[in-house]
Amino acid sequence: MISKRVKSNLKQTFSESLLPKIGLVLLLSILFMAMFAPVLATHDPTRTGHYTEEGAEYPPLGHEYTTQVAADGEIGEVTVQGSSEHVLGTNNVGQDVYSRFLYGARVSLLVGLLGTSMAVAIGVPVGLVAGYYGGRIDDGLMRIADVMLAFPALVLALALIGVFGESPFYVPDPIVRAGLAEGMPESIPIPGTVTIVVGLVTWVWFARVARGEALSIRNEEYVKAARSFGASNRTILLKHVLPNSLTPIIVLATIQVAVIILLEASLAYLGFSGTTLSWGYEIERGQDVLRTRPWVSMLPGIGIVLAVISVNLLGDWLRDALDPNIEGEGR
Amino acid sequence: MKRKRDYQALDSLDTVYGYYIQMTLGKFLVRRILQGVFVIWGVITIMFGLRAVSPGDPANLMLAEGATQALVEQVREEEGLNEPIYVQYFDYLQGMVVGDFGYSWQSNREVEAMVIERIPATIELAVAATIVAIVIAIPLGVISATRRNQPSDYGATLFSLLGISTPNFWLGLMLILILGVWAGLFPTGRRPVGFGPAVLTLAQTGSPSDIFTWLKYIALPAITLGTYFTALITRLTRSGMVDELGKPYVTASQAKGLPAVLVRYKHVLRNTMIPILTVLGLQIGTLMGGAVITETVFNWPGLGLRLIDALDARDWPLMQGIVVFIAIAFVSINIVVDALYAYLNPQVSDE
Amino acid sequence: MTEDVLRVNDLSTRFFTTEGQVNAVSNLDLRIERGEIFGIVGESGSGKSVTARSVMNLIESPGEITSGEIWYRNRDLVEDVEGDYPDAVDGEFVDLLALSDDVRRSLRGTSFSMIFQDPESSFNPTLTVGEQLAEAVEVQRRASANPRSTRARTREYSLGNYLLSTVLPSQRYVSEASHERAIELLELVGIPDPVERADEYPHEYSGGMLQRAMIAQALAGEPDLLIADEPTTALDVTIQAQILDLLDELQAETGMTILLITHNLGVIARMCDQVGVMYAGEIVERGTLEDVFDGHVHPYTEGLLGSVPDLERAGGRLQPIPGNVPSLLDHEMDDRCQFADRCPKAMEDCLEHPPEFDAPGSDHHEVRCVLTETEYDESRALPADYFGGKERPTADAYADPGTDIDESTGPGNPPRQPVDEPGGDRP
Repeated sequence: MISKRVKSNLKQTFSESLLPKIGLVLLLSILFMAMFAPVLATHDPTRTGHYTEEGAEYPPLGHEYTTQVAADGEIGEVTVQGSSEHVLGTNNVGQDVYSRFLYGARVSLLVGLLGTSMAVAIGVPVGLVAGYYGGRIDDGLMRIADVMLAFPALVLALALIGVFGESPFYVPDPIVRAGLAEGMPESIPIPGTVTIVVGLVTWVWFARVARGEALSIRNEEYVKAARSFGASNRTILLKHVLPNSLTPIIVLATIQVAVIILLEASLAYLGFSGTTLSWGYEIERGQDVLRTRPWVSMLPGIGIVLAVISVNLLGDWLRDALDPNIEGEGR
Repeated sequence: MKRKRDYQALDSLDTVYGYYIQMTLGKFLVRRILQGVFVIWGVITIMFGLRAVSPGDPANLMLAEGATQALVEQVREEEGLNEPIYVQYFDYLQGMVVGDFGYSWQSNREVEAMVIERIPATIELAVAATIVAIVIAIPLGVISATRRNQPSDYGATLFSLLGISTPNFWLGLMLILILGVWAGLFPTGRRPVGFGPAVLTLAQTGSPSDIFTWLKYIALPAITLGTYFTALITRLTRSGMVDELGKPYVTASQAKGLPAVLVRYKHVLRNTMIPILTVLGLQIGTLMGGAVITETVFNWPGLGLRLIDALDARDWPLMQGIVVFIAIAFVSINIVVDALYAYLNPQVSDE
Repeated sequence: MTEDVLRVNDLSTRFFTTEGQVNAVSNLDLRIERGEIFGIVGESGSGKSVTARSVMNLIESPGEITSGEIWYRNRDLVEDVEGDYPDAVDGEFVDLLALSDDVRRSLRGTSFSMIFQDPESSFNPTLTVGEQLAEAVEVQRRASANPRSTRARTREYSLGNYLLSTVLPSQRYVSEASHERAIELLELVGIPDPVERADEYPHEYSGGMLQRAMIAQALAGEPDLLIADEPTTALDVTIQAQILDLLDELQAETGMTILLITHNLGVIARMCDQVGVMYAGEIVERGTLEDVFDGHVHPYTEGLLGSVPDLERAGGRLQPIPGNVPSLLDHEMDDRCQFADRCPKAMEDCLEHPPEFDAPGSDHHEVRCVLTETEYDESRALPADYFGGKERPTADAYADPGTDIDESTGPGNPPRQPVDEPGGDRP
């Protein structure tokens, strides 16, 4: 499955170019950030009400801004200084921006990975079966895929969330459980609906790639040979077709993680996320105070960009290394 | 059995279009249109299904809070909500076929009118974004491919990496903040005039000032929506062109003395763009999704904004109308693209 | 009557890859006389194609011509360039390597043209064959309409013109007259119904027909020298014969000079007046057909001839030359006879790089082998395991990445191909 040549190709393209290294370092730091968010955070990200004495939001450390506050029944102007207590300031409901930034990485990565797994779990079997059996089954499945393509992913996702609701489910936070952090939320909210929905709207890409692979593999000599020995279709699909179509599926999956992170952020921005800890939701919240307190929207946006870039860089690397037919784009 | 794959576009042409080979262009189009009709039917059906399983009684959504039970019952009866589900489905389908999308639950207006009045703004935005993308991306891709591993190539690569990795709502907000608020170059409010009225003013009074206003207001949304596509087309153009430049016919064209301009554009770029065209056809969905977001960020009075309103209010007839319109647009554009592809690539239509 | 049209002196072409410097062509000398067919023969990777591309100025990065001179006899060209490049002119000859890229580009089509190994991939699949031929004609029409401005020949058509041409037919590059000439050319190379066939696309042609069309395209500018790079390798045996006949006929009719590159000694024997045998980027033996076939000295030539299936003893086994194509990586090459590691007659003398010796036979017979002057002496023979066997990269792969590099090796991975290919074509 993963031959020696593939391994050496992976190594060579990795060592030759700077970009995959940047991607890997970025992704690992974001993973680290997400995993140890409770340890790294300075405040409970959901706790509101961190305001200055005057009742204003903190700007990032080293910055100041002037705002109007109501004091003693009068409206007066005050200049607010950043504080080391809230290094990146607080948002418009008085939550610590830095701590929320860390927790936002969890939502992005979790939805990205789980959503992609969901899409793979639906798309790959459908595509393999369609491509391998061909004929009516193929026609039928591919017409369904056509219908899915005609829905903009975002619009379909919105419609589906409209039906299923958007409630998250909670799992206990292992880091807090292990006693590594105190005063942090006890559980991680996983936006289950969003995860299922992004899987439901992106499986079709996997189905198309898997189908293409199965179509060509079923005509390979070794498959014909296996068939002539009396191997069942099931065996051939699992033993020959699936392993040999893995390469493009892995490459596609990597790129889809990036696509899904963006999709999740968009849904959250539109207010359909299920958890307020999402970066996209935070950007939406900051939109109202964009002119006066731009830091609220800025930081989570940078988080999304970095997460997506890191995944894209690794995707480019995998594609260059695993599929020599494609010229390297990222180099 | 290696085939060219394109993961960025997430599509491999030959797997999907492979079996269209061996057909004449006419048959090809007929088949494509029939498939399109099927796709639209599928979209309509899925929307109906979603509405059927969605929680909440439509009659309640249609009426003001505190309506009497009798009134609710009356509305249910009038709207056919008491009929069996399949009767409702066929009524609904029948309406769709003759272009009757029903009435908005929220405002009680005809859905067709509510969709049609919002189409121009969205088309203006989509076209402007596409123009931005094409005008920037193709030269960038060409420069990148012809000057590989030089600073301009690295620059283009970095730009396209950022472009496909930046969420467009955040990009829009940052553009508003930096170019609109801080630099004061562009207005940031809701636009006062559409393209149609602006042209009308120009025709009637000869004053282009409305056109300028329109341009000022559309600039940031168009950049916001266009950036992802600019980045995508740059990447596709670069990799496609690098691929194409390595082909033997390029050397052969050079060997016969053809000027570099012709080799590069008439042969290589043209052949690069043919497959990209199909890829872009499939990205119309992404463009529409992007339009929804961009319209929300800029309060742009198009279909996307209306869709979000409809979603918030659970106004199903309006939602259905907009989604079906988007599907029709997607299908028609892709039929045109496929026909163009078959026309430009002689190997498809008459092998 | 006989005069040289091309003299190549000391030509070296190198490729600078991530693996190191590849010496694809080293210190190569050639003389091609007007009106003859000169054949270059050698195994894959011996540098044949790179030599041809060096003459055509088609070497692209990471390749570079690092030294040498290519003297081309053309009185008109001498007049054109002697003002700007006084150093490049010597009598009736011009040193091409001393000219600018623009001038050299302007010689393509008119002075030199080339036909390629694989006709199917050498035509643009999305334009009609007629259109592509007409382009070649148009290049030459524009050149001859403006004979005094050598450097402007290929530059006068701009991106602006091209963009305009999408709207204005008058701005099209190719004129009606060129289209008509293209049809005449198709007829000349024996394509039936040339008017209809001109409007067809490459995929509608058979391989043989397409190779004819490519020959027609190469003839469009009535070149002094036609370079045919493995013109029959990709074709069926019966079609091969037809194409060779066609080349023969056209050569007899027009008296043009042909540089024929092949790994097929049968083709050489049938077509050529003079032959150069290439090995590891060098010409190891050159001379008239008789010199090489009957009076050859170099053991490599001997081996090549031995590996041709003997038609009279049908069913006889091919005798491949044992060993591998030598590495052309600079740091793996020793300064010795490059064939010594595969040579059955390798001696201690072979550890020094041999010069070209005059060999018996015609005046042109030159051999890069000590055996020309020394008798083989078994007492000084090198032991059989003197050189360890290794797999090596080859030269042609760099010249022609589209066809020769195995798909599985990505860019930067030098292709590694063991040699199992005998000098003869598989019949």
